[in-house]
Amino acid sequence: MLDSKLERILSKVQKPARYAGGEWGSVTKNKKDVDLRFAFCFPDVYEVGMSHLGSRILYGLLNDQDGIWCERVCAPWVDMEQQMRDAGIPLYGLESGDPLSAFDIIGFTLQYELSFSNILNMLDLGGVPVLSSERKELKNLVVAGGPCAYNPEPLCGFIDLFMIGDGEEIMLELTNLYRSAVKRSLSKHEFLVEAAQITGIYVPALYEVSYHEDGTICKVESCDGAPAFVQKRIVKDLNTMYYPDYFVVPSTDIVFDRAMVELFRGCPRGCRFCQAGHTYRPLRKKSAETVMQQAKKILENSGYEEISLSSLSTSDYSELSDLTERMLNYCEPCHISLSLPSLRADSFSAELMERVQKVRKSGLTFACEAGTQRLRNVINKNITEEDVLNACEIAFRGGWNHVKLYFMIGLPTETSEDLDGIAEICKKVAYCWRMNTNNRARGVKITASASCFVPKPQTPFQWDAQDTLPVLQGKQDYMKRIMKTKNVTYNWHDAQTSVLEGIIARGDRRQGRAILLAWQRGCKFDGWEQHFQFDTWMQAFADCGLDPMFYAARPRPLDEIFPWDHIGCGTSKAYLAREWQRSRHAEITPDCMRQCAGCGCNALLEGGTCCV
Amino acid sequence: MFKARMKFAKEGRAKYISHLDLMHTMQRAMARCKMPLWFTEGFNQHAYVSVALPLSTGYSGECEFLDFNLLTKTVPENAVHQLNAVFPKGLRAIEIYPLSNGGMKIADITWSKYRITWGFDSPVPAEFPKAVYALFGQERVEVLKRSKRGEKLVNMREFMNGQPELSLFGHIAVCEVQTGAGSQTMSPEYLTKAVRQYLPQYPISDEAYHRLCVYTAQGLPFR
Repeated sequence: MLDSKLERILSKVQKPARYAGGEWGSVTKNKKDVDLRFAFCFPDVYEVGMSHLGSRILYGLLNDQDGIWCERVCAPWVDMEQQMRDAGIPLYGLESGDPLSAFDIIGFTLQYELSFSNILNMLDLGGVPVLSSERKELKNLVVAGGPCAYNPEPLCGFIDLFMIGDGEEIMLELTNLYRSAVKRSLSKHEFLVEAAQITGIYVPALYEVSYHEDGTICKVESCDGAPAFVQKRIVKDLNTMYYPDYFVVPSTDIVFDRAMVELFRGCPRGCRFCQAGHTYRPLRKKSAETVMQQAKKILENSGYEEISLSSLSTSDYSELSDLTERMLNYCEPCHISLSLPSLRADSFSAELMERVQKVRKSGLTFACEAGTQRLRNVINKNITEEDVLNACEIAFRGGWNHVKLYFMIGLPTETSEDLDGIAEICKKVAYCWRMNTNNRARGVKITASASCFVPKPQTPFQWDAQDTLPVLQGKQDYMKRIMKTKNVTYNWHDAQTSVLEGIIARGDRRQGRAILLAWQRGCKFDGWEQHFQFDTWMQAFADCGLDPMFYAARPRPLDEIFPWDHIGCGTSKAYLAREWQRSRHAEITPDCMRQCAGCGCNALLEGGTCCV
Repeated sequence: MFKARMKFAKEGRAKYISHLDLMHTMQRAMARCKMPLWFTEGFNQHAYVSVALPLSTGYSGECEFLDFNLLTKTVPENAVHQLNAVFPKGLRAIEIYPLSNGGMKIADITWSKYRITWGFDSPVPAEFPKAVYALFGQERVEVLKRSKRGEKLVNMREFMNGQPELSLFGHIAVCEVQTGAGSQTMSPEYLTKAVRQYLPQYPISDEAYHRLCVYTAQGLPFR
């Protein structure tokens, strides 16, 4: 039953179903049978959090353990937060309704730098002190993992420990240690010292950072026996890895409202701007048989009418043809449609297209990333204009009349020629539609979206300066002037949010004070344009004596020590530096399937060979 | 193809599922228990389901109806039990039956019986029911009613079937009333509005609405 105080406010907020819980698949346990309560927190709204596959996997995994009860906690939207604060209702777990402060471990997934302020806000709303140093007990241990943990430094003051890499194994090692620590009555510090011995766990309090006068890092030293270098964890065999056989099925619309099965982890491509491409290596795939079995179970237990086969580059899955055929044989009679995100333009075929539109037609998106072949070579996005036009031709002939194209502006070495190239490709795609469509009267919608490039840690572009705000805005204005082709809708991303993302992405632990200050001054939901307060953020950095451009707009020498150098993503820094050098000559690096580029990730696998 | 109707309850946490979301939730629950649903054909194939007189988000009800089409000639045995095993919390199937000759028409529904729960910050004064009966005992009780065409002053007595009935439980007053449904619809919230407007000496602090039953013009319970 819901608390009556909560019921009273639910009738006053937008989309109350996201705060009510009780969805199909949500797990309720008897508190008496449980010795560890885990709050799985997603620092954004329910619709986004519930769409996240990683959270669904770990929710299932933790609840699969005897004695552990994992609940979901999402950031309430501003109207709900106001009502909760007015009524004195703390942030609560959706399953039990108990406040965040009642949980033993509070875990956040770090998907996006601009959700960091929400982490502080959620802790505060849940009655948990935001600063790690103010949480003295073992209870309310705050942990985090996910892509942004590859540079955890800006969050060091708030998070007690980070889990680096795949969560499936490390999560259970952590919870086991926690339960044993409680039995042995360890202090929080004693527990953290032991936790730091688990491969992949980074306890920031056990590392001392010293700086040069110019603000760059001089050295990072570990203490209490913590490893000098924390290498990430990987699950070696995806076929035997835990995968849930059920999903929580929200009773309200969410962003990705469908069943999902991963095809593989890692990406063989090595696009130089892409953090996921460098941090999820080595490539590990699930067999088509495993994918089929997992898909069937999830579909049967969820009732979803759509399944997505996800990965970082789905068309690189070696058994894709066989798998999609088997999948369709199962799905079609049940009216289940199949979606394949992350298809590459250079491997899009008429056969594949027919399969994805068999039951229901979905959208088509091709990521071109850059406007000229030179720049695509710089970023190692090895597709050509011809590939894109071929793919579009197949799509238009097949009756599609809506295609989305993705680009980035502000990439290293970019010139106005590269921007002109974006407009040029769009024009050619529009022409391609005119020449190939069977029905011109129906019209076409070509959407071109350009986001602003953000250099990310643990990628070859980690040495590069990000374009400053005036430069990005100037490029956006230029784009708006030249994107004039009929039938092409041009979307762009707010440059200010990308600049803040760029500042925090490569930040160090001194930024913690600025994050705290920005949150105290009301920053939250920074990724949502209507709530983003750029000036408040800049003022917070200034008031902490930090220059945001030191982090975002500064080209770094190849030998600089980075704040994240002691966190290992598998890919070696030497390899990233080689890739950076090749990028300056627009030299491409073949994908892993053709030739091993020596990124170093194979060392994480037994026998040292990748499965490509 | 064969038409069936389910009578169900929507209570507790499920109160907050909106109409559109309820249809998705029903379609998925039916898929989970392998109900042999008939699907529409064409561009966007989907299981056809239709909710009669959807409740406002936040209302509960124990007399809700969902029509759907089956591929089989009869309702599968145990359908109620199977569906209840896969429903989210707060949804409960009560009865599933075939609609021979199309069954009762949704358009025949004329009245909805609601239970309104009014919460007060202090114990409800004993004379409160009398004041409410006196208010609604009049021939005209005017309230500003919203519709698609804008706001209009209406006599809400024309949208009520008989008198409300009240009972008191400490800080709570429970009011049962029949209000217009279908073409002559009036939300039970107008009763709360009228009490607040005409009886401000009894300040209602919060309210909840629950639908108990729906009736035809002849006063027959709809099924």
